[in-house]
This record gives sequence, C-alpha cells and structure tokens, in this order.
Amino acid sequence: MLKVNNIEVCYLNVIRVLHGISLSVADGSIVAVLGANGAGKSTTLKAISGLLKVEEGEVTDGSIDWDGVRIDNKSAEQIGKMGIVQALEGRRVFGHLTAEENLMVGAFNRNDRAEVKSDLEMVYTYFPRLKALKRNIAGYLSGGEQQMLVIGRAMMARPRLMMLDEPSLGLAPLMVEEIYDIIRRFNVEQKTSVLLVEQNVRVALGIAHSGYVMENGRIVLDGTADFLKNNEDVKEFYMGLSATGSKKSYRDVKHYKRRKRWL
Amino acid sequence: MSELLQYIITGITVGMVYSLIALSFVLIWKSSGVANLALGQMVLVFSWFTYGMLVQAGLPLWLGLGLVVLFSLGMGWLIERAALRPLIAQPILSLIAVTLGMAFFIEGLVSFIWPRSVAALPRIFPEDVIHIGTAVVSQEYLWAAGISLLLFAVLSFYFKYSRMGIAMRATADDQLAVQACGVPVTRIFSRSWMFAAVLAAVGGVLMASIGGITHGLVETGLKSFSVVILGGLNSFLGAILAGPIIGLAENVGGGYLTPLTWPGVKEVIPFIIIVIVMFVKPYGLFGEERIERI
Repeated sequence: MLKVNNIEVCYLNVIRVLHGISLSVADGSIVAVLGANGAGKSTTLKAISGLLKVEEGEVTDGSIDWDGVRIDNKSAEQIGKMGIVQALEGRRVFGHLTAEENLMVGAFNRNDRAEVKSDLEMVYTYFPRLKALKRNIAGYLSGGEQQMLVIGRAMMARPRLMMLDEPSLGLAPLMVEEIYDIIRRFNVEQKTSVLLVEQNVRVALGIAHSGYVMENGRIVLDGTADFLKNNEDVKEFYMGLSATGSKKSYRDVKHYKRRKRWL
Repeated sequence: MSELLQYIITGITVGMVYSLIALSFVLIWKSSGVANLALGQMVLVFSWFTYGMLVQAGLPLWLGLGLVVLFSLGMGWLIERAALRPLIAQPILSLIAVTLGMAFFIEGLVSFIWPRSVAALPRIFPEDVIHIGTAVVSQEYLWAAGISLLLFAVLSFYFKYSRMGIAMRATADDQLAVQACGVPVTRIFSRSWMFAAVLAAVGGVLMASIGGITHGLVETGLKSFSVVILGGLNSFLGAILAGPIIGLAENVGGGYLTPLTWPGVKEVIPFIIIVIVMFVKPYGLFGEERIERI
C-alpha cells in the first residue's frame, strides 16, 4: 500500500511545483493520475521513485509511506529494492543494447538468477513480439516495441508497484490498446499494483480502478474510474465530449467556455 | 627483406601496448561518456610510482607490482570521487574539462615528487631475446602484446555478459533511465575509473620497461587517443585492432620513409591514416554509430 500524504515538491529550492498532493494506491489496484501538461504528474511519480533528487528536486513537506515505511528520504536505488519501479516517459530504452540486454538491466538488483530467467520468459509471454526481437538493437525498434521494452524492463524488477509514465505517448490507437490490455493482464495475473500517469483519459480510465485529476500541482478531483468517467467536467475537458455525451461538433462550439466546477 | 619482418613485429607489439592504454580510455567513455584527457599523465604517474616502489624503496618485484595495482585502484577511485562525482548530471564538457585539469595536476605532482626527468625500471621480464625468422625481438614486446590481448579478452567478456558490464553500457546510453532501474550509477562510475586506472598502470609499466620512464609516456597517452579515434571511441575491438595498425604504420612507414624524407616522418604517418579513415568512417572503424530513427 502506497500512501502519499500532502507532499510539496520544489525544484532548485525555489520553484514549487506540487502544492500538497495526497493519493494512495491499494495493493493490487490500478490507479490513474490524469491531467494536462505541466500539471505535476511526472513530478509526483519521480517523488515516489526517488528520481527527483537526481533532477535537483526535493520533497519539502509531507511524507510518502510504503507499507508504513517512510520512503521520501531514501535513494532511488533503495526504493527500487523495496519493490517500486518507474518506467520513464518517452520510451527511454538503452539504444545501443539489444532488447534482451535492456530487459536484463531491469533485473539488475535481483540475485535470484534462476527466477530472473523464468521472469524473462514471463515478459516474453506478455510481449511475444519482444521475443522475436530479443537480439535486435533497441534503438532501431519501432515506437510501440520500444514502449513494450520499457514496460517489460520494469516488469523484470518484479515490482510490487509499477509506475508507468504515459505509456500511450506517440503511439497508434491500436498499439495503445494492445499495451493497455497487457498492463491490465499483468496487474490481474501478477497482483502488481500499477500507478499510471496518462493524458489519454479514455484508455486510462478503461483499465483503472480509481483515478486522480491533477491541475497546476494540485489534485482537483478523485474517485473511482466509473465516477470519473461520468463526471461532466472530465468528459468536457479531458474526453472532448459535450454534456450530452455525444462527440463534440464544431457547429455548436460556444464563444464562452464551460466553467470547471472544481475551481 | 629482413628489416621488414623486424618492422612488422615491432610495430604490432608496440601497437598492442597503445591498444592497452586505449582500452582504458574506451572503458571510461563506454560507461560514462567522459573523455579522459588525463590518460597520458596517469600512465606517467603510475610508471613513476613503479619506479618508486621497485628502485627507491627496493621492494621485491611481486610486492612492488602488487602495490602499483593497489595504488592505481585507489587513485582511480579518488579521481572519480573527488573530481567527477560532484559534477554528475552537469554538462559533459565540464567533466572533460575537469580531466584536463587533472592532467596538469598529476603532471605537477610527478615533477614535484620525482624532479628528475628520466629513469629506468629494473628488468621485469627475462633478458634474452627471441628470434622470429630473421627478426630479433626482446621479450618485453611479446609479454606486452600477450598481456594486452588477455586484458582485452577479459574486458570484452565482462562488458558483454556480466550484469555490471551490461549496466555500464546502459549507463552510457541513458543515466536517468538506468537509475529508474535501480542501478547505482555512482558505483558504476567509480568502478570504471578504478579499472581504467589499472589498465593505465599496466600500460605504463609495460611502456616503461620497454623504453624507460621519460616524459614521452605522456605522448604515448596522446598516441592512444589516435588509436581510439581510429578504432571507434566505444569499441574494445576497435582499440585492440587500431593499436597495431598505428604501430605498423609508424614502424613500417617510418622505417622505409625516413631515409627518403625527413627524420620525424614516423610520427606523422599515423595521423595521415586517421584523417583518411575519418573521411570514410566518421565514427572510426568499429565505433557505434549514433542511432537515429527517421
């Protein structure tokens, strides 16, 4: 169980980007964090995984608890060993390594060699395409294959919480669907919790159990996936649907904007 | 004809030592993307330290050389810890500039501790020469070539198959992503500097046992830059092959051209070859090309 309690995050000690974020991820659940660019979604993930310190950011207030242990002062390496792994935004594969070597880096901190072997097979059953490409240089894979590789690399750490930062970024709709289906199956079959950051609200709420909507470093709305899917504001501002639920037409574009009710 | 064989054997074996020193450069480049401009000076200080142990302190061979390895490990660790770690995540140019500063620092340190300019190491390898056909080779050269090959094989396997080696290559590709995988990059950097320092030390001892300790050892470091540029900055294979190419060009070309042209021609030939190769293969013979998907 991950609990983020009212954290504030500053970069370079002056730029405050999160103003009191609280969220929780129950064991075995999928939680989506939604929001526009610059809302602070990625920063929230980095605060949890400890990567913030590399980028001169700092959790200045609040706390992050993982199974009751405070982790906001631990290093990325320690947090990784405690079972939290983050797949970064933007398909950051190790370009000059083969696909299989990429996956093996994901298992760097594990000492159970035999289990790593079987987990490699597990990743290949989730992503059969990667098995065919395992000797290929990762830099030359297609965008979708690279995204699969990044998620597979996170799986190789055998995490208890997997954090994915915009897995749909820049992918064709069919590929997005395929990847999301695999994430859902992985969650169900391996009992791994998933914390998902996404701009593609529709697919994210399609697999999530609950979600949070972020704006300007604050959480403005939260609830179960069904609640969010049916919320008028989410529909209007994040799913591009008009109040009646049909697709928006340019014919009835209004001169004024609907006001968000959470502001 | 007999001189040709002599030139070839000398060229290849000396080239292997250039390769060994070049491996040290490639090792650091491969794991952190830093060009170590202090390489020549590291070679110099380690061979002087060997002199200090074997001649000045009069230690037996095994103990002295053991201490040299320990000293180089410690020095590699210290350089990374004191000079490079504070600069992690800074622009790569600053890190390279720091290694340049390190070069001057080490050079100053050497002339402070060992003010004399030349010295000779005691014999490390057996004295009698070996006849290969019509050529005569002293054993140092063959030992040097053998040791270089051995270290090359060890390093290649390490980087290709070991967990740490793969992580080192991954670190060179993407430092943030590697941290997201829980890899301790600081440990990776300090380990690669320690290994690189040992390689520089072995290269230094070999060069010094062939040609004595002179300031020319720094130039040997420079020559290994041309080896890595020719072979490709991040390729062990490139380094091990380009070394003998440079050595051959120097000795064969120099041997035949010197009487026809001017005395310094030997030093120029390798660079002419590099320029030509760079036209055809800008990443060096075996260098990794930058991957760009279009």
